[in-house]
Amino acid sequence: MTFAEIAHILVVWTPFLADGFLWNILISLVAMAVGTALGAVLARLRLSGRKSLAHMGLAATELTRNIPTFVFLFYLAFLVPVEFEVLGQIYAFPAWLKASLALSVAVVGFVSDNLLVAGQHWRNGNRPAALLFIPSWTMYLVIIVMASSTASVIGVGEIVSRCNVVIAAVSGDEMMVWVYVYAIGYFFGFCFPVNWAMGRVKKRLLARVGGAPTRECGECG
Amino acid sequence: MSNRSLLHAAFLLALLAILGGREALADRFELIQKRGTLIVGVKSDYPPFGMLDANGKLIGFEPDLAADLARRLGVQLQLVAVSSTNRLQKLEEGAIDVVIATLGDTSQRRQIATLVEPNYYASGVAVVASPNAHLSSWADLRGRKVCATQGAYFNRPMAQRFLLDLQVFNGTRDTKMALRDGRCVAWLYDDTGIVGLLSDPEWTNYETPLPSMMISPWAVAIAASEHESKLERAISDAIADWHRNGWLIETEKRWGIKPSRFLADTHQLWIQTHPDGSPVCARLANGEWAAECRNRSLLTSMDVGGLQHIGLLIKEWTGLNLTIFYDAYDSNLFLTGLWRTLQLIVGCIVGSLVLGCLGALVAEGIPWLRGLVRLSAALGRMTPPLLLIYLIFFGVGHIVVTRYGWTFDGSVIAVFCLSLYTGCAIVDALLEASALLKDQETGLALGWRGLPQALRLAYAPVIAALVNVVKATGMASAIAVPELISASTAIVAEQGNASVMMNVLMITYFLLVMSVVRFFNYLERRLFQHDIR
Repeated sequence: MTFAEIAHILVVWTPFLADGFLWNILISLVAMAVGTALGAVLARLRLSGRKSLAHMGLAATELTRNIPTFVFLFYLAFLVPVEFEVLGQIYAFPAWLKASLALSVAVVGFVSDNLLVAGQHWRNGNRPAALLFIPSWTMYLVIIVMASSTASVIGVGEIVSRCNVVIAAVSGDEMMVWVYVYAIGYFFGFCFPVNWAMGRVKKRLLARVGGAPTRECGECG
Repeated sequence: MSNRSLLHAAFLLALLAILGGREALADRFELIQKRGTLIVGVKSDYPPFGMLDANGKLIGFEPDLAADLARRLGVQLQLVAVSSTNRLQKLEEGAIDVVIATLGDTSQRRQIATLVEPNYYASGVAVVASPNAHLSSWADLRGRKVCATQGAYFNRPMAQRFLLDLQVFNGTRDTKMALRDGRCVAWLYDDTGIVGLLSDPEWTNYETPLPSMMISPWAVAIAASEHESKLERAISDAIADWHRNGWLIETEKRWGIKPSRFLADTHQLWIQTHPDGSPVCARLANGEWAAECRNRSLLTSMDVGGLQHIGLLIKEWTGLNLTIFYDAYDSNLFLTGLWRTLQLIVGCIVGSLVLGCLGALVAEGIPWLRGLVRLSAALGRMTPPLLLIYLIFFGVGHIVVTRYGWTFDGSVIAVFCLSLYTGCAIVDALLEASALLKDQETGLALGWRGLPQALRLAYAPVIAALVNVVKATGMASAIAVPELISASTAIVAEQGNASVMMNVLMITYFLLVMSVVRFFNYLERRLFQHDIR
């Protein structure tokens, strides 16, 4: 198989695969949205100053840390019905949303921990240190985008499962390697610029903080 | 309360009971007649039994049976495509009246639906193997790797009977590739499906060397509540008629299906008569067919005792089907999965640490490689591990097997890929820590001596990465590594106890992750104590 042939096949399937990658982004953004909302609530509880509430927030955060998202994905896929009825109206519960929910569990822990630190800095008047939350959050989105590829195991038509469709459709054994490598290229294409830009933002913020190493969330992620 | 009012109350109750009973009598049969349409669920992806034609219409052997049923009931026919996983659920919901969708007649399924007798077809299990596998009997497969597809009813009994080392893959595509790459000697598959497969030019060299086993009859299914109803009777009579007049054999021929032994034998049986001229297969006084014309394997009562008996009692009382505690096969499957997951966890932690430390040492020790290591680490962190696993297992694995004849174990590949991903994160953390150390103490390079110090400084991010890899070990299930997730989904496919198994899986994993976290916390305390001293 020549290079031109390989390139031609990849070009032909590009719209299909690119569309799949948009699903990865969508799944990740929804996961970040849900996880950030819930994580913010937990961080708020932990910052509330009331011992019982803070304890509750911490316990919930620790719980989310111990839940493996990959297993949770199967859990939701098997146990949440495909559609359910509310007041006579039937609502579908699509697989991609299950994937988003599974991934959001990891986001909850991350946001809860990092927003806690950011909130403490903010209170102490250390604005730049608090703002470090933004690049960290965006870099975490990158991690979630990578993890969104696991949605393929529950049948979501994102880029990895589409790779498998393409491989089944085109013959040729070498092609398999190229299709997967091409898909990895999409992840690079998204993650590299985001990580680079956020790395710059982080550096500038750190410079404003005064170069002192700030505590970063270690256990989440 | 006077006697009179008591009598009134009793009368009212009786009336209610009768009305209620009448309500129950207004059954599916009447509903179908009123609606004027029979809704039948058939397969759309199982040629030629049920498939889509060029116009997207459902056609095939089974749609033909459905059409004849509708004709006999004097109503219109509506076909609905169903899958193996949703066919009985749709029936229970009432979305369809009847299922004719390659449904094997098993005692478990009889508990969740009414399976109409007699059976209308039968399939068995056979293997597809390359001719150089040299298989002459099923016993030749003992202890050897055999590929199978998740959810097939015969996986478990065949594995038990012939002691197969089953490699269970998620879909037909993955199973096909695994067989082609020599990851197993043969593929356990439904003999009615093999015909379609072998017609593919890519598979011309493959053969089905062994006779079909576990002939499983197929049944038409209606809802569990329709047991002994008018609908069951009507369908049952229709199927009996099909067997008697040979219509099923004709239909089979019309769709170009290889004549099945089952249909020929059943036809012979149903046209047999007693010396007095009455048919052998006739209804008894209780409405059942004569025993010799029924599915014999389901007539024998199950002998259960001991733990299994207790397990079944628990299931009866609470609905919790904890097969992993009383069923030897399931508990073995689960424990083997747990053991494999533990191995994966240890392998990934060790592998990640080794790769991470090596990367950092190379970057610090050999200056001209520093940029390369940093770049590789960045790239490694931006490759989704699942994609990497697929790439190496299927893509690279296939090239290696065709060029050099080597195959790698799925577990090894999974540990390698996950360790690579995590190792890259560890390299970054260590390099950052060593940069900090250099700020504090000029001239300190990260060598064998500096490594423990850097590790201690980077403890939190390194542990976070290791905990993450522990959580991700389940990804090995995507390439049929028989770990916890694979074991749990295999048990669910067999027993249908999704809620029990998924909770057991979740709790087990939760405890595993917690133990690992606890272990690292303990280690941290020990390390820092050492520091103080």
